Order: sequence, then structure tokens, then C-alpha cells
Amino acid sequence: MAVSAFTPIYHFNPSEPSTPASLPTFFLKPTRVKATKPHRIATKQPHVTSSTTLVAALSDPFVLQIAETLEDSLSSTSSPSPPPLQKLRDTSSESLLSTPWPSRKDEPFRFTDTSLIRQSDITPTSHPPQSFTLLGVSEDTHFPNLAIVDGYVVDSLSNVSGLPDGVFVGGLSSLNSEVVMNRVSEFVSNFEGDLFWSINGVGAPDLIVVYVPEGCRLENPLHLRYFSVEVGNQESNKLPVSNPRVLVLVEKGGEIGVIEEYVGGDGNANCYWTNSVMEIVLGDGAKVSHSYIQSQSLSAFHIKWTWVRQESTSTYELVEVSTGGKLSRHNVHVQQTGPDTVTELSTFHFSGSDQTQDLHSRIVLDHPRGVSRQLHKCIVAHSLGEAIFDGNVQVNRHAQQTDAGQLTRSLLLEPRASVNVKPNLQIIADDVKCSHGAAISDLEESQLFYFQARGVDIQTARKALIFSFGAEVIERFPNTSTRKNVESHLQKLLAPTLRSQ
Amino acid sequence: MALFHSCCLPTPSPPQLLSFRNSTSKYLLFTPAATPSRCRFPKLSAAVAVESPPASSADGVDSPKLLLEVRDLCAVITESRQPILKGVNLTIHEGEVHAVMGKNGSGKSTFAKVLVGHRDYEVTEGTVVFKGENLLDMAPEDRSLAGLFMSFQSPVEIPGVSNIDFLQMAYNARRRKLGEPELSPLEFYGYIAPKLESVNAKIEFLSRNVNEGFSGGEKKRNEILQLAVLGADLAILDEIDSGLDVDALRDVANAVNKLLTPTNSVLMITHYRRLLEFIKPTYIHIMDDGRIVKTGDISIAEVLEKGGYKALSAT
Repeated sequence: MAVSAFTPIYHFNPSEPSTPASLPTFFLKPTRVKATKPHRIATKQPHVTSSTTLVAALSDPFVLQIAETLEDSLSSTSSPSPPPLQKLRDTSSESLLSTPWPSRKDEPFRFTDTSLIRQSDITPTSHPPQSFTLLGVSEDTHFPNLAIVDGYVVDSLSNVSGLPDGVFVGGLSSLNSEVVMNRVSEFVSNFEGDLFWSINGVGAPDLIVVYVPEGCRLENPLHLRYFSVEVGNQESNKLPVSNPRVLVLVEKGGEIGVIEEYVGGDGNANCYWTNSVMEIVLGDGAKVSHSYIQSQSLSAFHIKWTWVRQESTSTYELVEVSTGGKLSRHNVHVQQTGPDTVTELSTFHFSGSDQTQDLHSRIVLDHPRGVSRQLHKCIVAHSLGEAIFDGNVQVNRHAQQTDAGQLTRSLLLEPRASVNVKPNLQIIADDVKCSHGAAISDLEESQLFYFQARGVDIQTARKALIFSFGAEVIERFPNTSTRKNVESHLQKLLAPTLRSQ
Repeated sequence: MALFHSCCLPTPSPPQLLSFRNSTSKYLLFTPAATPSRCRFPKLSAAVAVESPPASSADGVDSPKLLLEVRDLCAVITESRQPILKGVNLTIHEGEVHAVMGKNGSGKSTFAKVLVGHRDYEVTEGTVVFKGENLLDMAPEDRSLAGLFMSFQSPVEIPGVSNIDFLQMAYNARRRKLGEPELSPLEFYGYIAPKLESVNAKIEFLSRNVNEGFSGGEKKRNEILQLAVLGADLAILDEIDSGLDVDALRDVANAVNKLLTPTNSVLMITHYRRLLEFIKPTYIHIMDDGRIVKTGDISIAEVLEKGGYKALSAT
């Protein structure tokens, strides 16, 4: 047993993207690791006890103030919370007591600047949402769907009829089944995330539950549409925060597709903060196909957690396309709790304006024969745009015969555009197959010339190449309609980018 | 449809050219008496072609029309400034097949790349006139649209762009240039299916990404498919025979032969006589150290095959 940790860090700031030949390309060949010496990396944080003196010393007054505001806004609703929700709120407030607002000195936020959120006047969204002059809420979906407005389920805009028996989709407060309630209790708040995870736990108005019973396979995906109605603007500095929280619980052999869509509408000046959490629990042999589309306002903040727990032989597939937000961060944590799991993460981030796109992913493998495939691609097409990728894969002692692959590719299309990538593998098991690679470049001159040599002008060629770069991820969306929508959205975003070149 | 070319005296008015609406259109060039010139632009004064009602074919065959004229072409590698071409002269008329042979590093491929406007090379001297126009002034895509095609020696892979999308994009660019409506994917499919057959390629060829994971033979076949789809007045085939087995070579050569008409021409670059058995050249040129040092007929290739380049320099 031994340790092998690869952590190449590429920090990149090209000054002249017009000379791509001078840009180095990093590509690391697949590595097969056979190690012999016993060692172990200590990664666990020392547990913080909640004795009052210690708490007082560690508390961040700013965080406590947010927590209080959130609690106040929710206590106005009179009905008592169901036990799992209460438990979530209690554990979350407790951890907020000892969690300061992150700074660039904290490793997970080394490249991510959250100070803009901190400087805003953070106010919880009010319940119920005050107006329904909803931009784009009318947008049609032919799948069973839930409309989640400012973190609250709006029944009048949702349609979950026709789901198979035993499937439950809705707020915990309307859940009647004791069996399901007990299952939810088992899994709620079993994980310690970061500050934003806990803020969500305190501020979530309800726990939205998607329950798929044993052996049940849903034919159609469930479409979760998130809207932001209460918004501020740059002058007012007001930043309404919403905390939608969803738990997807798929029992043994069950299957479901979930489309999580954060709708932007056309208000790119709208300021709001979506602080969302989705927890996904997969029983033995269960399968979840997760599509995640984020196209929120370019002035919005979007912080998102996806936490996944995979039991044996289960399959989790994520396809993500994020294009919106002033700051958008996706934290993905996949925890393997049984052997023979399959995990596929395919993500595409597009930073086409003065914005930051961030993916922090962690896959923890503790059991044999897990397969994980990760592809992360990003394009930065603005001189003030930024992309961040921290991809961690842990192959622990018992995860023998793991097959883990990770590849990240970034395109920088403008001078001063920047990308920070940190692929890192921590391998302790000694019989595994792991690979990772990272490449950062401009468009290939030779490919552009090939188009030109066939009579295609350079603008069209650039567009085709940029689009095809993202297409590798987009074409993995299981639904044609999702794919088409995302494609046309991306075409629209690319149009001004290409005109300016 | 035949064209009649009325001859005019050189005039100071700008050249009045037909758009390439018709692949059989011909150009008649007037060049002043051959005075060796080192200036950058060709000294031709006018190129006039006038469309007229069908005339008897006898009018058109008196002499083949000039297609490409390269004079004293010198070029360097853009980055290192190393000179590669050191005064290439070559004239190609319509309907001719030319072969360029020569040792490795003699400048054959560079010559081909310079003609299509590759950025790795910079022309320092000389002129290239293609169909009456200064080729060196044109962007690479305009050279292609003007009817110049080069098959790449090692075509680049383009992941994420399917072959059919690529071909459709290129074909529609051509139609736009001709002022014709673009073809929809379905119409284009109808257009391309027989072309696919002509190069003996399977239908899966179209859905695969451009050259991605193609074998050497498939890549060459794909180049010829592009030639068949786009058409060209002058096709430059850069080592189209390298890496091909006998059957694939025959397929590729057959496809090229099918594309040959009395009005279009081929310039092929090769190391081997075998290709010349399939595609019969009108002229063979030997290139050495950035110049064409010898021109002749097929007999040159025979001498070459027997005694190598030494034998040639001895003669």
C-alpha cells in the first residue's frame, strides 16, 4: 500500500493568443500505478467541538448575521417543520458557528473570489414569491416538471401528474408516507460541505424530495426548472439569496433522469444569488442520469453543490453546461459506498463575458472495481473571463482495480483570458488504472487552415471549431430537446464573441 | 455549353472577368512579350472573357488556355526565414497533367503549400497568376473558391466536426460565391451520395469526424472525396500515393482520373513512378534545391527509376 499523488498545477495567463504555437500544451499520458511503500495522506480536518468558548473564537460575525437573517425569514412561516428538515437546519446552523467566510487563503477558494457576494446586501427571498411576471416561466416542457421559484416549489406552474405509483416528487411538507420520511431522515445532512452548503441548510425553505421506489424505472426525465423572480440591480446593491434544496433518493434498481435547469431569461442586469444544493442517493444497481444547465443572469451569483452517494453497481452520469452567472461555482462530490460503480462526469463551461466559471469536483473511491470517467472542457472568450477547475480523484486503499480517467481541455480565445486548472489524483490502492490530462490552447492554426483551404472563411471556421469543442459535451445530454435548446443557446452566445474577432 | 472568346487589345480598364458560374469558362490571357521580370505583380494588362451563344467547338481548341503561371517564385519559412523555394518557374495549361518529382527536402511540398497560401511560408519574390488573377494577393479561402485545390500530405484531424458538416460547409461556401442558393442537409446528402461511391468510400465516412481516427488510406480517400465534391480547375495532389496499398492507390487514382476533363488540370507531387502509371502525366518536372531543374516526358521517370537522381543530373 502506498501513496501516489499527482498534483500538477497549471497557472495560465497568455498575453498573445494570436500565436498559439507558442502556447504549451500539457498532456499527461495514462499512468498505471503499482506502488509498494506504505504511507497515507492525512486529509481529514480535526473535528471541531462545539464548546461555547471555542465557537465564539471561531465564529465569523458576518456569517452569523446571514444565518440569523435566514432563520428569521423562515420562522415567520408558522407550521412546524418536518423532523428531517429541522435536523438539517440544526446541524447546518451548528456548523455555521465555526465556519468563517472563505478567503483566497483557503485552498478550495484559492482562485475563486467570493468577496463580491460578501460586499452585497444579502437578503433572503420572501415567501411566497411576490409576483409571477415570470420571464420564461411559460417556456414549455413536455416532461413531468417542478417549477422552483426563488427556492420555493410553485404548484400552479408544476406538473408531476402521471408518475408511476410510489414515486414522490414534491416538498417534504406535503410528504405523507412515513416509510419515505424515514428514508429521507437517514440521508439528510450526512455530509459536511463548505460554508455555502451550510447556508443552504439553514436557509432552505423546504426540502424538495424526489423518491423512486425499488425497481421503478421512469420513462421520462423529471424536469426541475429554477427561476429567480426577486432580483436586485447594481445600483441598489441588494442581493436576494435563494436556497433551493433537493434530495433525490433512488432505491435499489430504480432509474430516473433529472434535468436541472437554472433559467436566465433576458435580464442580464438582474442581481441575485442562487445557493443551491442537490443530494443524490443511489441504491444498489440504481441509475441516475443528471442533466444540469445553468444559464442565469450575467450579474447573478450561482453557487451549487451536487453531492452523490453511490451504492454497489449503481451508475451516475452527469452532463453539465454552464454559461451564466457573474460567478458560477459547481461543487461535485461523489462518494462510492459499494463496489462496481460507474461514474461519468461531462462538463462544459463557457465564460463569454466578465465572469468566472468554476468546477470543483471530487470523486472518492473506497471499493473495488469502480469506473470513473471525467471530461471537463471550458472556453474563455473574454479578456476578463476566467475558468477554474479543481478535479480531485481519490482511489483509497480498498478501491483495487479501479479504472479512473480524467481529462480537461481549455480554450483561451482572448488576450488576458485566464484559466486555472488543478487536476489531482490521490492513489493509495496498488492495482489500479488511472489517467489524467490537461490541455490549454487557442484554436489550432492547422485546423483553421484546413477549413480555409476548402474555401471556408476564417470566421465561419472559428465558429465551427469553437462550437465543436463544446459539442463533445453537449451531445452527451440524453434528451434531444435538451441538446437542441443548449445548442441554440450556445450559438446565440457565440455570435457576439465571433463578431468582435 | 461552349464559350467564345473574343480577343481584345490590352486596355487600361480593370480586367473584366466572368464569375466562375460555369466550370467550363475559359480565360484568355495577354501577356506582354516575355521579358524576365522580378516585380511582384504580373505585367499582364487585361484578361477578357465574353460569354456568347454556343459556337462550334472548333473555335476553342486552337490552343490550350493558360491556367497557372509561376515565375521566379521564391519563398522562405516564415519563422526561421530559411529560403526553400529559389526561383520556381512553371506553366500549366488547361487539361494538362503535371508531375513534380525530387529528393526529400527539394521543396516540392513547400511549393504546393505556397500555392494554396499556407502561413508557414512567405513569398519573397516572383509571381503566380492563376486564371488571370494574382494568386498571391488572395486569401487561402479565396484561392480555393477560385478553383485551386490541394490535397494535404497529412490531413489534420478535426474532432467534433463531422465529415458531412465539413463538406457541406465548404460546398455551400462555394455556392454562395457563385450566387447560388445553399443546399439544405437533405439536398446535400443527395448531392454527395454518388460522389462517395466514386471514391469507393462507405456511407459511415460521412458521420465520422473529419479525419479523426482515419487510417492513412482513409485520409487520402477523404481528400479525394473533398476534391470530387468541391471540384477544382487545378488540383494539387501532394503525395497522394504515400501510405497507400496497391488497391487503395488504384481506387484513388481511378477517382482522380474520373475527375479529369479537357479543361481542368492536375499537379501531382510524388516520389514513385507507380502513381504515374495510373495517372498519366503530360510533363514531369524534377525539383532540386528549390528550383525546377529539368522538365520532360514520362521517360524522365524511367531514368529516375533505374539510376536515381544521380543518373538524371549526369544527363
